[in-house]
Amino acid sequence: MAEDFVIEMLHITKEFPGIKANDDVTLQLRRGEVHALLGENGAGKSTLMSVLFGLYQPEQGVIKKNGKEVNIKDPNVANDLGIGMVHQHFKLVECFSVLDNIMLGVEPCKAGFLQKEVARKKVVELSEKYGLRVDPDALISDISVGMQQRVEILKMLYRDNEILIFDEPTAVLTPQEIDELMEIMRGFKKEGKSILFITHKLNEIMAVADRCTVLRKGKGIGTVDIANTTKEELSRMMVGRDVQFAVEKAPTKPGDVVLSVRDMTVPSHVHKKNAVRGVSFDVRGGEIVCLAGIEGNGQTELVYGLTGLDKVTQGTITLDGKDITHASIRQRSKDGMSHIPEDRHKYGLVLDYSLENNMVLQRYWEPKFQKGGFIDKAAVREYSDRLIRQYDVRSGQGSMTIARSMSGGNQQKAIIAREIDKDPKLLVAVQPTRGLDVGAIEYIHKQIVAERDSGKAVLLVSLELDEVMNLSDRILVMYEGEIVGEFDPKTTTVQELGLYMAGAKKQGKEAQ
Amino acid sequence: MLLLIKYTLLYGIVLMLVALGGMFSEHSGVINIALEGIMVIGGLGGVLAVAVMPNSLPPFVIVTVSILVAALSGMVFSLLLAFASIHLKADQTIGGTALNMLATAIAIILAKNFNGSTSSKINYTNNAFLFKIGDLELSVFVPLGIVLLVISYIVMYKTRFGLRLRACGEHPQAADSVGINVYKMRYSGVLISGVLGGIGGLAYIIPSVQTWNFEVGVAGTGFLALAVMIFGQWKPVHIFGAAMFFAVFKSLANIADATILSQLGWSSNIYNMMPFIASMIILAFTSKNSMAPKAEGIPYDKGSR
Amino acid sequence: MSRKSSDASAALRQKSSSVLAALLCILIGLLVGLIALFIINPEHAWSQGFLRIIQGGFYDFPYGVGKTFTNSAPLIMTGLSVAFAFKTGLFNIGAAGQYTLGAFGGLYCALILNLPWYVCLLASALFGAVWGAIPGIFKAYLNINEVITSIMFNWIGLYMVNEIIYARGTGAMYDANNTRTWKVADRSPQSLIPSCGLSDLFHTPSTTIAIFLAIAAAILVWVILEKTTFGYELKAVGLNKNAARYAGINEKKNIILSMTIAGALAGFGAGLLYLSAGAEWNPLNTTSLPAMGFNGIATALLAASNPIGTIFSSVFISHITVGGSFLPTKYFPTEIADLISGIIIYLCAFAMLFRGVIAKKLHVDKNTPDANAEPAVKTKKEGK
Repeated sequence: MAEDFVIEMLHITKEFPGIKANDDVTLQLRRGEVHALLGENGAGKSTLMSVLFGLYQPEQGVIKKNGKEVNIKDPNVANDLGIGMVHQHFKLVECFSVLDNIMLGVEPCKAGFLQKEVARKKVVELSEKYGLRVDPDALISDISVGMQQRVEILKMLYRDNEILIFDEPTAVLTPQEIDELMEIMRGFKKEGKSILFITHKLNEIMAVADRCTVLRKGKGIGTVDIANTTKEELSRMMVGRDVQFAVEKAPTKPGDVVLSVRDMTVPSHVHKKNAVRGVSFDVRGGEIVCLAGIEGNGQTELVYGLTGLDKVTQGTITLDGKDITHASIRQRSKDGMSHIPEDRHKYGLVLDYSLENNMVLQRYWEPKFQKGGFIDKAAVREYSDRLIRQYDVRSGQGSMTIARSMSGGNQQKAIIAREIDKDPKLLVAVQPTRGLDVGAIEYIHKQIVAERDSGKAVLLVSLELDEVMNLSDRILVMYEGEIVGEFDPKTTTVQELGLYMAGAKKQGKEAQ
Repeated sequence: MLLLIKYTLLYGIVLMLVALGGMFSEHSGVINIALEGIMVIGGLGGVLAVAVMPNSLPPFVIVTVSILVAALSGMVFSLLLAFASIHLKADQTIGGTALNMLATAIAIILAKNFNGSTSSKINYTNNAFLFKIGDLELSVFVPLGIVLLVISYIVMYKTRFGLRLRACGEHPQAADSVGINVYKMRYSGVLISGVLGGIGGLAYIIPSVQTWNFEVGVAGTGFLALAVMIFGQWKPVHIFGAAMFFAVFKSLANIADATILSQLGWSSNIYNMMPFIASMIILAFTSKNSMAPKAEGIPYDKGSR
Repeated sequence: MSRKSSDASAALRQKSSSVLAALLCILIGLLVGLIALFIINPEHAWSQGFLRIIQGGFYDFPYGVGKTFTNSAPLIMTGLSVAFAFKTGLFNIGAAGQYTLGAFGGLYCALILNLPWYVCLLASALFGAVWGAIPGIFKAYLNINEVITSIMFNWIGLYMVNEIIYARGTGAMYDANNTRTWKVADRSPQSLIPSCGLSDLFHTPSTTIAIFLAIAAAILVWVILEKTTFGYELKAVGLNKNAARYAGINEKKNIILSMTIAGALAGFGAGLLYLSAGAEWNPLNTTSLPAMGFNGIATALLAASNPIGTIFSSVFISHITVGGSFLPTKYFPTEIADLISGIIIYLCAFAMLFRGVIAKKLHVDKNTPDANAEPAVKTKKEGK
């Protein structure tokens, strides 16, 4: 007897200009299972799911529902087939209410006029049935990220979807919220719904999935039963070689205090309160201090305040004994602060500038690179060529390459080369490995550890708890704009950190 | 005083109609700087229709046909903006600027051609459009405008179309992901702005005079309507209020010399300037929390998400 | 392929596709003009219509060519104004208003103060600069879209200048008999830009060295943008405001400076026309902004914001406009030329698209640029 597949994606190929995002990939989803889709960033997971959801049309391959071939030409067709998706970046209209967002696209109507009460009734019923508590009249911009995810899930349920796709749903959640989500998924499974769960986190797969399909560089590597496999096996399939989970590093030898922050307060741009509330901490030379926390708890603003991108309304920042609280961005850079920004496209690079122009982004004004206001192109070229060689930045046309055309990993390498080569006293690195593949992550981790070993102070901000545990010498947890705990990675656990990240626990102010 | 009310209503309705048009376009995600040009083309279409129809026709027919022609001309012209900014992903501001330049050139060429002479003045009779309440002489555009305002409000906030339109201006990727055709909604938004802008153009030209020189276009009214839309924070009822507020200044400019105000010694230039200054002041104060649709001005590309 | 040559070929490819895209825009614009001519009067469309537009100033040589130069000078300047702002990521739709203020500043210094021509020109630039700085300040400190501010200030400027010049018919600069400002030549000959014999050469009093001043300005702008640290900063702000800030560049200062310089360029352009005896200001025309300002948008776009390219595109637009003025008015409206330039800007609005297609056609590519290239990432445009 043939297996009971609810969805089959057979030999899917999807190309983008210059890249095969999916190359002959096959994925078969059984009825009532949680099926994980594992792969590195850029392996083609999201593309494959977008094909299933009707956002992209594949060049080759067929999709079958219940054994019958279907043509999913847009999300409406996917919806009619009972396929729903929670996107990694939520697709919610900020200035609409929860209710409006849930019903958008399938609004109950009479002659074109909205029947909001009909929709409201159904939403309330569903949220009670599955324990997904939401306020239908709240604006999306006013509710938390976890709540927004519930709205996304309700959107699928409202459409009576039977096949639920979750695209990296845990990235924005605390460990405890992740557990809750796993529980919700198991609940859906009991109801007979089939779940596709996209992730690059092995622990989550082991916890909730029945089977797992692995993608690497656009190709399907295979499908395995979770019961018969191990984390190591999965990671080998994902990366194509053995991966070291731990970063090799010698014990820390902290030196003098390099960065000293006292009582720093930074206002928020999102709400009227302060995003950072009276935070104090030190970073010494030769140590990596890691700032952990759920996205949106003030880490971004803390870095903005520290690097001068935002104004600090209270407190002091001292860098190597010098008060830089109100110094300009350029002054901080001159005083020995390097900054690997969170968003390399928004802040780190001028994408339409050549690589060489990006390499001197903070230094074009130095006498070395200009004479009397005229840029010395030869000097810039020479400098850029050296960095490219030294840090192995790969690009089509070397220094002349337009930054936009480079791969994400090499863009990040270029930024790291630029920031490290300034020979800073303090390196502020914000999510330096986000969106990169394992090779690039390993390289960047090594560079950061090397900086520490040469006596630099490193402040690392990361949302990935694995990275936090592996790389740091000291961990500070941020919750709602305050530092709520300080930990030694050798003596703490992810669960412990999670409780602090979620605000469930808090160390006394004296603790730090 | 009566004169002030008359001019305010006549001009306010024009501003409101055009600003409502701009609102539909911007809520769909397309910045419409071409309102000025749309007004010119709509006005030209409507005026030509009035001019060719024999006076013996019943007023109702003349009014209806000319308004329909104006709406249609505005719509066809706005199609150029929609096509460039939606399908070709052109820069919407540049496209709009080009259309404004084109509109004047086209209007003059057509007007001269219509006259068969070097004059771009077109003569017509406007009595079909006017009616009196007591001593107050108004045009049919006043009641029509009020009706369109009510309809606009209902469409925007009470219908499926309105909800979907606004979603496209705020977050087109979200709209697309729930199966809404963003391109179609944006075309609808721009075309509606063409219809309202076209009618607005006719409403601007027809009631006050019996001859119009198309070399002057619509004298910046389209740009003022843009200011009205911003002043009205992209909301229909606010737009109505903003339009009337601006119209008072314009009316003062018209009647300044004939009334007691002339003692102030202000010329029409100063009154004309005031709405623009007022909207800059308001913009300066509201800039921190602008209600502008978030995705406006950004071409929607199905590929990037 | 060596690195140097691949660099050169990439730049060349970009340049040549830009030029081809511009030519394509022009061609389509002319074609539409031709069709319009045929619709209006098929009998005379070719010889007395289209050919005259194409011939431009040469139809009435040398007078017409002189006229082309007279008109090109201010057009180059407004084109540069728009192009300069484009490089900093700003759309200067306010060139018309800055031009208006520039005309006022120059004429005031000439007609009232009787200052020498170069001082008058500087005054033009200064007045334009002030009017350009305002939208820059609004943009930098309040983040209000410069397009909206510029539009508002275009009208404010027009009404203001008209009010001061006209002053209910009593303005000192106003010649009531001609309903225009006094002729500079009559009132203050030393305020006229010297012609160095050009006016005799072209049989037109308004042909002066203005065209050379405009060309010099274009070269200066090119040097600033391409060779200096200031240009590096301006372009960085234009391409990515956030990254510029991150790099320690004061983006607010650069936005204001960029708009101020753009305003100065446009104002200077007005000076070049009004101080060349090219025209007088009519303060009774309260309903339309000077077309020169908007045509500057066309020339900047046509030149893909390249300062040197702006010279050529401006001369071309002047050429067909002068050609349009030679159309026999009994057959054709002279606005056909405006129609053509309108169509050209409309096409330029999506010229990027053409450029991309042409670049592909030019190089049905042998070498993929980067093996591990990702699909290009779109940066989100700043909203209002």
